[in-house]
Amino acid sequence: MKTQLRLPFYLAWQYIRRGRKWTFFLTLFMMSVAFINLIFVSSLFAGIIDGTNKQIINTMTGDYYITPNDGQDYILDKGRSLDLVATIDGVTGESARTQVPARMGYKNIRGSWQILAINTDDEKLVSNVADKMTSGVFLEPLDLDQIIIGRQIAGGDNVEENAFSFKGAKVGEKVTLTFDGFTKEFTIKGIFATKFVEADNRAFITEAALTKLIPATADVATTIAIKTDKSADKNIIDEIKALGIDGKVFSWEEAAGLMKSVAESFKSINALVSIVGILIAAVTIFIIIYVDIVNKRKQIGILRAIGIKSYIIIFSYVILAAVYAVAGVILGTVLFFAAIVPYFQAHPFVLPICDAVLVLSQLDYIARAEAIMWVSVISGLIPAALTTRTKILDAILGR
Amino acid sequence: MLMPIIQAEKISKTYHSGGVDIRALKDISLAIGAGDFIMITGRNGSGKSTLLHQLALLDTPDSGEVIIDNKKTIRLSEGLRMDFRLSSLGYIFQEYALIAELTAIENVMLPAMMLETSKKAKKKAAELLDKVGLQNKHHRLPSQLSGGEQQKVAIARSLVNSPRIIFADEPTANLDTVAAKEILNIFKTLNEKDGITIIMVTHEPEELEFASRLINLSDGRIS
Repeated sequence: MKTQLRLPFYLAWQYIRRGRKWTFFLTLFMMSVAFINLIFVSSLFAGIIDGTNKQIINTMTGDYYITPNDGQDYILDKGRSLDLVATIDGVTGESARTQVPARMGYKNIRGSWQILAINTDDEKLVSNVADKMTSGVFLEPLDLDQIIIGRQIAGGDNVEENAFSFKGAKVGEKVTLTFDGFTKEFTIKGIFATKFVEADNRAFITEAALTKLIPATADVATTIAIKTDKSADKNIIDEIKALGIDGKVFSWEEAAGLMKSVAESFKSINALVSIVGILIAAVTIFIIIYVDIVNKRKQIGILRAIGIKSYIIIFSYVILAAVYAVAGVILGTVLFFAAIVPYFQAHPFVLPICDAVLVLSQLDYIARAEAIMWVSVISGLIPAALTTRTKILDAILGR
Repeated sequence: MLMPIIQAEKISKTYHSGGVDIRALKDISLAIGAGDFIMITGRNGSGKSTLLHQLALLDTPDSGEVIIDNKKTIRLSEGLRMDFRLSSLGYIFQEYALIAELTAIENVMLPAMMLETSKKAKKKAAELLDKVGLQNKHHRLPSQLSGGEQQKVAIARSLVNSPRIIFADEPTANLDTVAAKEILNIFKTLNEKDGITIIMVTHEPEELEFASRLINLSDGRIS
């Protein structure tokens, strides 16, 4: 029995070793294409979701953020709070943002947008707005009458919310901020475009400018955005809460809002597309392996005629199919990570909300590799089992 | 006649082809003794190969019984028939029926690997290939061998599990005269020296002299 169990492996190895190389490599290529098709679609959707999430984190909230306690307008003791947060392992940046209580005007247009006062150096550690300037430059710490505005505020051609914007404000032009009782003129120093509509509906001035106008805001903030790296503890929210800061702590996901629903929708679509992809891969793989085994019908008949038991023959083809699957997955993985992923990193999918690259989670990769394995094994099993059930002479004589 | 090693009792076989029933064998009864060298002859379509297939347990008759070594075989499961073929019967096809991906020695050792270790099977296969005159061709693929050499590999394979009976279906039909004679001499040696029962289908008159007994079929009956 022990010797018999080695026979399927021996047969499968000889089929691979001495079978037609062209057929083997063509089968392998088809398997790898089927696998790439599965992981490509999945990683594209994951890339869009990941890109959107990164937009929220990098332009809006950071990985975590602190807001005032219920019933309060501000987080008090801003400086102390920032110092405390900085002591937590894994925190790589923090930025206190203070809502500027003013309406903004440009020529004869007036409106309420979110205007935030920031420490420009801190902000650069938390958000990427400084890197998204489409005209002009980012603020310097001591800019007292300069402002940067988002693309949705500046307006112009192809701006999504142009109707509610300044309809084409440009760098160097003046805007006014009207506070309770006084007005201050600011020069547009830069216009930024993050591709995230909500983020581009904001304007920034320096905290120095706000403090000069309203000294009482010197040590308060309306939000503290926190950026972390991989070394941060999973329970970092509890750690921040334990610091005794005057505010509530949230993760970025709680600020995702509509994008959370969009991400969920993408996940559902991804699941559906993946099922269809697996079905297509299953049919393709089944046909490839079925044709291969049907062509060996005579050989299977001969093996049975000389006394090789059916289960050994079936098992040998199952092993062969599994080898095709493993080799196809390996080849597909190499092609995917060595060619396709780098290509899309260099040339991302340009979407209205983000530039998406391919992102493949370990779980998705394993699930799809497993799907290819199972489909291949079944594709080897069924035709081999059917062929071993036909009459020996019919198989050999091709009847 | 020597003690029967195979008996056929009223075996019949009908094929259905193109909507027509073809009665290939009609109530055939025969007994073959251990150590016989039987040649089954007859015209094309007389039922020679069909009879051989039934006796070698490659096919099942519609009625009747095939008894091998006093064992009734018709109602045996396919698994047991396969065991029987593996350990007691050797079969040689007209078209050699070698596995294209295996070398001569690998083809021969394959049935032996069902019963013993690959090391022992390989040793046995090498001895048998030497015995049929393929000393230097153990590692050739079937495509690298002549028709006569391929048939010798098939003979070696049929012998590897030391069967008591060898069935051969027109084993020389695709060979030239010299190769055909070589094959027949191998059969003669196996029969005379090793006492193996040979049952062979042929329609070459010059081969009949090798047989100890002839069975002539005509229209599915022994004539």
